[in-house]
Amino acid sequence: MSKWIQCTIDTVKCKVRDGATVLDAARACGIEIPTLCHDGRVDVFGACGLCVVEQIGSTKLIRSCSTPVTEGMEIVTDTPRVLSSRKCALELLLSDHTGDCRAPCMLACPAGTDCQGYVGLIANREYLESARLIKKILPFPASIGRVCPHPCETACRRALVEQPVAIAALKRFAGDYILFNQPDTPAIPPPPSGKRVAVIGGGPGGLTAAWFLAKSGHKIRVYDMMPQMGGMLRYGIPEYRLPKKILDMEIEPIRKIGVEFINGVKIGADITLEEIRNGHDAVVVATGAWQSTKMNIPGEELQGVIGGIDFLRNVALGTSEVEGRRVAVCGGGNTAMDACRTAVRLGAKEVHVIYRRTRKEMPAEENEIEEAEEEGVVFRFLSNPVEVKGNADTVAGLQLQKMKLGEPDAGGRRRPVPIDGAYEFLEADMVIIAIGQSNENTGLETLEKTKYNTIAADASSFRTSLPGVFAVGDATNAGADIAIAAIGEAEKASKVIDAYLRGSQAVYREPQYVKRSVYAQDYADVEKVPRSSYQVAEPESRKSCFDEVVSAFTEADAVAEASRCLECGCQDFFECKLLNYSLRMEASPESYAGSKRSAQSVRSRELLEYNEGKCILCGLCVRVCAQQLGISALGLVGRGFETVIAPEFRRPLDTTGCIYCGQCAALCPTGALREVYPGVKNVPLEEEAVHSVCDGCAALCGVEYRFAGKTVNRVLPAPGTPALCPQGRFGFSAELAKLGATAAVKTADGNIIEIRTENALKAVADRLKGMSADGRDRQRAVLISERITAQEARAAVLFARFALGTQRVYAFADCSKPLIGAQNIPLREETVSRLFSGAFYESASCWFLREKLGVGRFRLEDAERFDTVVFIGGHPDAPYPPCSFKAVLAADRPDNDFDIFIPLCPAPAKDGVFLRSDGSQAMMRSIPTLAGPDNAQVIRKLAECLAGRPLPEFDDIDKAVLEN
Amino acid sequence: MKIIVGEGSCGLAAGAGKIHRILEKYIGQNSEDISLGVAGCIGMCFLEPIIDLYTENGLLRLVKVNEDNIGGLLRYLSGSDESSLSDLLISAGDAEFLEKQTRIALRNCGLINPEHIEDYLAAGGYQAVVKAVSLPPEDVIAEIKMSGLAGRGGAGFPTWFKWEAARKSSGDEKYLICNADEGDPGAFMDRAVIEGDPHSLIEGMLVAAYAIGCSKAYVYVRAEYPLAVKRLQTALDQASAAGFVGKNISGSGFSCEIAIKQGAGAFVCGEETALIESIEGHRGMPRLKPPYPAQVGLWGKPSNINNVETFANVPWIIQNSGSAFAALGTAGSKGTKVFAITGKVKRGGLVEIPMGSTLGEVIMDIGGGIRDGKRWKAVQLGGPSGGCIPASMADTVIDYAALCATGAIMGSGGMVVMDESTCMVAMARFFLDFTAKESCGKCVHCRIGTKRLLEILDRIVAGQGRQGDIDLLENLSLEVKAGSLCGLGQSAPNPVLTTIRYFRDEYEAHIQEKRCPAHECKALISYRINPLACTGCTLCARKCPVSAITGKVKEAHTIDEQKCIKCDRCRQVCKFSAVEIF
Repeated sequence: MSKWIQCTIDTVKCKVRDGATVLDAARACGIEIPTLCHDGRVDVFGACGLCVVEQIGSTKLIRSCSTPVTEGMEIVTDTPRVLSSRKCALELLLSDHTGDCRAPCMLACPAGTDCQGYVGLIANREYLESARLIKKILPFPASIGRVCPHPCETACRRALVEQPVAIAALKRFAGDYILFNQPDTPAIPPPPSGKRVAVIGGGPGGLTAAWFLAKSGHKIRVYDMMPQMGGMLRYGIPEYRLPKKILDMEIEPIRKIGVEFINGVKIGADITLEEIRNGHDAVVVATGAWQSTKMNIPGEELQGVIGGIDFLRNVALGTSEVEGRRVAVCGGGNTAMDACRTAVRLGAKEVHVIYRRTRKEMPAEENEIEEAEEEGVVFRFLSNPVEVKGNADTVAGLQLQKMKLGEPDAGGRRRPVPIDGAYEFLEADMVIIAIGQSNENTGLETLEKTKYNTIAADASSFRTSLPGVFAVGDATNAGADIAIAAIGEAEKASKVIDAYLRGSQAVYREPQYVKRSVYAQDYADVEKVPRSSYQVAEPESRKSCFDEVVSAFTEADAVAEASRCLECGCQDFFECKLLNYSLRMEASPESYAGSKRSAQSVRSRELLEYNEGKCILCGLCVRVCAQQLGISALGLVGRGFETVIAPEFRRPLDTTGCIYCGQCAALCPTGALREVYPGVKNVPLEEEAVHSVCDGCAALCGVEYRFAGKTVNRVLPAPGTPALCPQGRFGFSAELAKLGATAAVKTADGNIIEIRTENALKAVADRLKGMSADGRDRQRAVLISERITAQEARAAVLFARFALGTQRVYAFADCSKPLIGAQNIPLREETVSRLFSGAFYESASCWFLREKLGVGRFRLEDAERFDTVVFIGGHPDAPYPPCSFKAVLAADRPDNDFDIFIPLCPAPAKDGVFLRSDGSQAMMRSIPTLAGPDNAQVIRKLAECLAGRPLPEFDDIDKAVLEN
Repeated sequence: MKIIVGEGSCGLAAGAGKIHRILEKYIGQNSEDISLGVAGCIGMCFLEPIIDLYTENGLLRLVKVNEDNIGGLLRYLSGSDESSLSDLLISAGDAEFLEKQTRIALRNCGLINPEHIEDYLAAGGYQAVVKAVSLPPEDVIAEIKMSGLAGRGGAGFPTWFKWEAARKSSGDEKYLICNADEGDPGAFMDRAVIEGDPHSLIEGMLVAAYAIGCSKAYVYVRAEYPLAVKRLQTALDQASAAGFVGKNISGSGFSCEIAIKQGAGAFVCGEETALIESIEGHRGMPRLKPPYPAQVGLWGKPSNINNVETFANVPWIIQNSGSAFAALGTAGSKGTKVFAITGKVKRGGLVEIPMGSTLGEVIMDIGGGIRDGKRWKAVQLGGPSGGCIPASMADTVIDYAALCATGAIMGSGGMVVMDESTCMVAMARFFLDFTAKESCGKCVHCRIGTKRLLEILDRIVAGQGRQGDIDLLENLSLEVKAGSLCGLGQSAPNPVLTTIRYFRDEYEAHIQEKRCPAHECKALISYRINPLACTGCTLCARKCPVSAITGKVKEAHTIDEQKCIKCDRCRQVCKFSAVEIF
């Protein structure tokens, strides 16, 4: 017995066993020391240098992973020298790290919505999960999916193959899906904070802030000058692009969570900022940019001249008279398109769009321009209005200066230059000026402004010059932008404000991610798949009404479109220790920027992917393969900076002794080594871990299923399980069937019906009773899979004896052939013993069934002897596949055509069926750790139900069974 | 008469093998009375091939003997008087090279035949091991402690302390390892000892093995030293046959086997734990310390590792007493130290001097100063792990602590002398290039940090240096030193730090003025022909490999800077010093 020794770590007195390292000691007393290359399962290596600490009295930094504690040792883990050394190690690693922590689409989104994540979830048919993911940042996916100019698609690398993924349309698809399929999820009310927050402005930014702050438990009141909430989404976007009904549906949850909406109240006119401040602990100013920019030309004050957004707002309020008028719209942006197309729909006689440059330079979305043309809008390019001509005080037309294109300006667009003396007159009785918008600051005079006359708000704290007053969106800093930008700011600000209300000074910091550059040739091998198209209404039918022009993706189209995603972002984002530490220590990839190693990626058997550029040479894969598996498929190759992890002589992994246990990938701290699961879109997501037992064979290894929604993303060894064999790790393709509290029951007429599990149980019992009561003298037997747990097997024996009145319990057991190995990967005996550490022969194996429970071996020809066989743990679709737990009642014929089967596990959170890579189907289940009966109890219950009395404990009858 | 031809690697490279064959043929045809033998390197590599004639009148040392001038020697052997040797005899000045040394580790090198154990025995060899095994091991360690001998591999850790730690480690099986993986560019002390006097290494190891209590020893020697491997194997065979290696040595009951393990030439394998990994058959990567090899070493057993030179001192200490050794040197550094002097010095070779001598004495007095009348600028001590000491600090004494204080290290004995034409930034870059390539790739600071340091130096010498690069170099260097796992990374930035410390102005000139003061960095210099000095001889134009030089005969030539590749050929061939570098 080793003795106890005492040391001090960061003033904490720590008592450890002699031989413990400083790292062990720190962990024992709850002090975190970072490390990338240490794992208790393998020998100490000391490569990463993150675990350094200082020892009082020593001048050197010491590596805590390898330094044993000595009596009275004093350790400090957070000196400036230690932190600097750790940060240096991280920055050096980052400088040689090639990859994309996050996908370019997500980084391009001003709000940082996880495009790759929600697109990938749609590809996996996880529509609700997809919408939930979007809603973590963006409360209005259906609305924004319809109107967003989608910078994400501009950044999408699929454009290097053919066209970008239709990310916005997919967002709309997910948004619509949750609106129409799960409109009402009762939100759990958050614990009230006791703080009150006022939001001024009920547009996308203001509502987003209200939503997230309300979810944090604050009492929110939103003031808005318009009759209804929604801001520019309601009053600036025409109905044919965003139906008000959709917007209403997406705003409704904000009201439901308890946010108080106060409409028709304008700051500066109806209430002062001071009054609002006095009644609240914090104020969020999100007043937007509601003023149309003037052209500053003569005649602009004439009647019939109106700003673009003013026009759209009037239309939304039903106060605009357009019918029969000749309308001229000045400007080439999306507001101009909204205005001209709205004018068409309102029955204008003719509609002209006046733009200084050519169509190529127009900032509006291409499809908007096209659709406007189709609807009969006349475009006048290279024309600049210089005067609004009037007849008395009303508009008569526009004097246009003809232009030509000159030299490119700073932004690269060719500058329009007037052609001397070339003028044209356009007759019009309505002129809509849609060249931009700005904010008016009525009521906000006390807030400091920028040089653009917008509200000055700090980029990381969102604070204004007044204490407790925050500001986001179009009214601030650089001015008007797209809706998602305001939403993004509001979402970030809500975290900062929540922290402020709780007394913290936390601010938003832009995370520093590793990014890489790619070129078209990088995707030369990608098969070209055209972008899915969505339905657009015919011009003739759509131009006379405000019905939505673009219809949503069908489910099949959405899945096909989402499957085009190239999966740019690192699969390991949520688990990457390098990134995690780097973000926490604010390590920058740029500090030591220099050349990088090659970044080729190699896939092996379509099961493992090794990405050299992400490897940090921590050596965990090398060590675990050598020390835990005894295989040594991987090693360090080369010297110095060019060192890589590879099989010897850089041969393919297939030529080594690799058994595809995936242990290397399980231990990899970055995304360098990853499991690949064919048939499922690999999406970096926060996964849900569910612990269960592998049903690949009788060893019953603990597995951890990683779910994203109802899709199994990965299977890992559960904590405490040293490693999994390839069958457990990769023996399925995760085509997951739907789960739920129902079971399929085959009725007497051959139809399959779904019933709730408790009813299914009763149905089985009834059916068994019915057969007992039919007067025939039946030969009964229980057939069990040897792949059930020991407890379940015991219950099955009780079931046979007390429910069926038979001692006959059989299994298809054949101890000599453990079913191991995905894709016929052979395992050596030594590997088997390392993997299963002897447990294989001790668990509820064939041996256990035979020796401990007296279960005999069942042959198909035996079936002739019985007319009722209850098959427990079998599978309905195959005579004998490995499977999880089911009870199958087979009347007369123990073949595939069973009458009833139910999953006995009582509706656990995560059960499912999936396809193995060999095509067979398998069930997985979680070990019920929550309240409720486990399978063994269910079998007992069923048996008691039939027997009509409680069953004895197994131990009492153990002997009797064996004697039989 | 006895003729000894110096046939170390340096002598053989200079043509000693050919000379040996000529003499062999001559003696075979003419005289049976002359015995012809070989010896290892005596240290005067700049004078090779060297032939020692043991005549009745004493020793005659002939130098730079070649096929053209060997006639004098042959005439002398045929009976001519000594005047026929006049062109071959060593000059008085060159003879000083040896006279000013104190040779302990090198005591037999170049004097005895390394392939004959009899020569070694005649020089008093294997007496130390006989004496040692008659003493209790503790007394042997005490003698070494008394001597003050410290590890000559570079770190200077007290030898007795390591021996005692290994002795006290529990376990029956222990290992002794000789580190002969000499990897520093410009260092060849270990090679010379093994090639010239392998038995003294073997004897030193036997004493150590006895003191520690181990019966199995390895010599880890690089495969690039084939002659050393061969002579060591021969010596081991002879020592076994003579009963000094093997079972029951000298009837004492003490047994020790010694095996040779050839390394494949990775610099990092000179690091003791990486060396152990390599012997075990693994990739040469350092292990974490603790545990130290004295507790958990080769095959997991307590092991002691010493350098060749350390072992070579041991027999002398046992025979002459520790106090005799300790009488030499300074308060903190006892005995002598062998250096391999190379670079721009006049007399390059092996030098063994007492600790406490100054750098100036070694370089100017023994080394004879700088070649070609140039100025001494600096000296790099300790190879890529060491540091650069400027000529202004010539009075620095050779002493572990004193050298450390300069930012350099004692090192294993590499001493590269630089003159004014050496760019210190390029010099630091050279060593960094070496260490970056030789990094085993295990720890982050060394693998990536040295690469980044190299990249910064690369851009400075290429004229792309940025403001702040010196600070960046210094900060990163300190982080790499503190964060690296083994000595390679912990010392790799030393050349950078010391050159910045002593030659910051050169870095600044490169970065701010885009100028290389030593005219070495090609990107920062240009060649021009001084029209006043040029005679129009056309030689340079004819030699220019890229035809960048034009001009009429007897008229001043010009260099087209666009074409010039700065190969320096024109400047080298110009007889009128008309080609100038700017």
